[in-house]
Amino acid sequence: MYGTEVMPERGVELQTWILEEDNKYDTQVKESSIWWGPLIGVTDQLELALPFELEWDQVGGDKASFTFKRFGIEARYRMVSQDPVEAPALVPLVRLAIKRDVTVRDDVRVEGDVVASYETGAVHALVDLGFVSDITPHTHHTEMRPSGGVSIRVAGELRLGAELYAELSLDSRGESWAAVGPNVAWTHGRFWFSGAFGIGIYHINAAPRVMWGIAF
Amino acid sequence: MRSPFAMCGGRAGLAGLLVLAAVAGMASADPGGRVTGTITVTESDGKPANATDVIVYVVGFVEPADDQVATITQKGRKFVPDLVAITVNESVSFPNNDSFLHNVFSQSGPRKFDLGSFKGGETKARRFPETGVVDVYCNIHPEMAATILVLPNRRHARADDSGHFVLEGVPAGDWRVFAYTRRATKPTSAKVSVKAGAETTVDLSIVRGAEPAHLNKYGEKYHGGQVYK
Repeated sequence: MYGTEVMPERGVELQTWILEEDNKYDTQVKESSIWWGPLIGVTDQLELALPFELEWDQVGGDKASFTFKRFGIEARYRMVSQDPVEAPALVPLVRLAIKRDVTVRDDVRVEGDVVASYETGAVHALVDLGFVSDITPHTHHTEMRPSGGVSIRVAGELRLGAELYAELSLDSRGESWAAVGPNVAWTHGRFWFSGAFGIGIYHINAAPRVMWGIAF
Repeated sequence: MRSPFAMCGGRAGLAGLLVLAAVAGMASADPGGRVTGTITVTESDGKPANATDVIVYVVGFVEPADDQVATITQKGRKFVPDLVAITVNESVSFPNNDSFLHNVFSQSGPRKFDLGSFKGGETKARRFPETGVVDVYCNIHPEMAATILVLPNRRHARADDSGHFVLEGVPAGDWRVFAYTRRATKPTSAKVSVKAGAETTVDLSIVRGAEPAHLNKYGEKYHGGQVYK
């Protein structure tokens, strides 16, 4: 799930995401992936990310594999000012990413998100309508990645809440899963941390994820 | 900072007074009176100081803004001027006249903002919708510091070299006149009783201390320590 905050102009942040998916689908697939990359504030509303992804996976009792999975470029455009006085309560953001799959040499991945956040008092709500599409010369697979959540500022920059996220295949080339669970987010100076423990509600046991970033 | 889901001493007192002033009432349409006087500025060691960087203002009534835009220029690793007074809801522009980047920000309660890093020749601006004292710094150059007084009315003026000031068009009534300078150890003020068409005189004195330490926009000490004028 993507937020609606972006870096100020010429700001730089390094982000790390670790995403786990335990025993998903009937084939009991286990995956852990690392998303790492710098984000650069191009303007006060547009930032670029240059991520690369590592992936560990295991299907059933088969031998596990760990590989450099993909790299690419993405743009995140916040459609309103990020100034705390000028920004409205409802903030929309669009994201578009293009990535190369290193292990499937003719695959191009296209990712997109339309994100909206709403803040009132200590409450922050977020909805992300995302999709991922893997395109090769002969095949095409698309899945929706909707997510949403609510968090409440409980003390200082500490937030607690809950979120729901899912991957929903739109064709027979993939399967779907969904998870819901508590989340926590904490900001301290130039550092932030966010984590969620998604408990499987459809075709997955658990989908915990942690993310952190440090700005320069 | 992002999350995916995610004044010290006298200044605090001054901020409180400004908030109170904002709710005290609207000024009437009378021609008002004139408040004049002299500010005496001394350094904390007792030596006399120049009064040109002192702003005098009146609180107790509210007036709408003139829609003027004040300017604080970044030049030679300084904010020029380093003290401006505006009326609430007016804007301040921040042109960068240096040949290198600046990152202007404020963490003051009445108005937090972060202009990001912008290069010479570029200008960014912000509007100030709440009264109070807004301390402005550069996240790259710790020696740069300025203050914006966001006031509830337009009756504010800068003292001249000799410390003399004139406030025109002050509505008739009992108000409080403040003098403020950056690095003031505490705000100084006096009550005035203004009559329409008349002149009221008030003299004030203010003591200037050392530049207070400040942190960068992340709440950390600057790399290499603080450097002050």
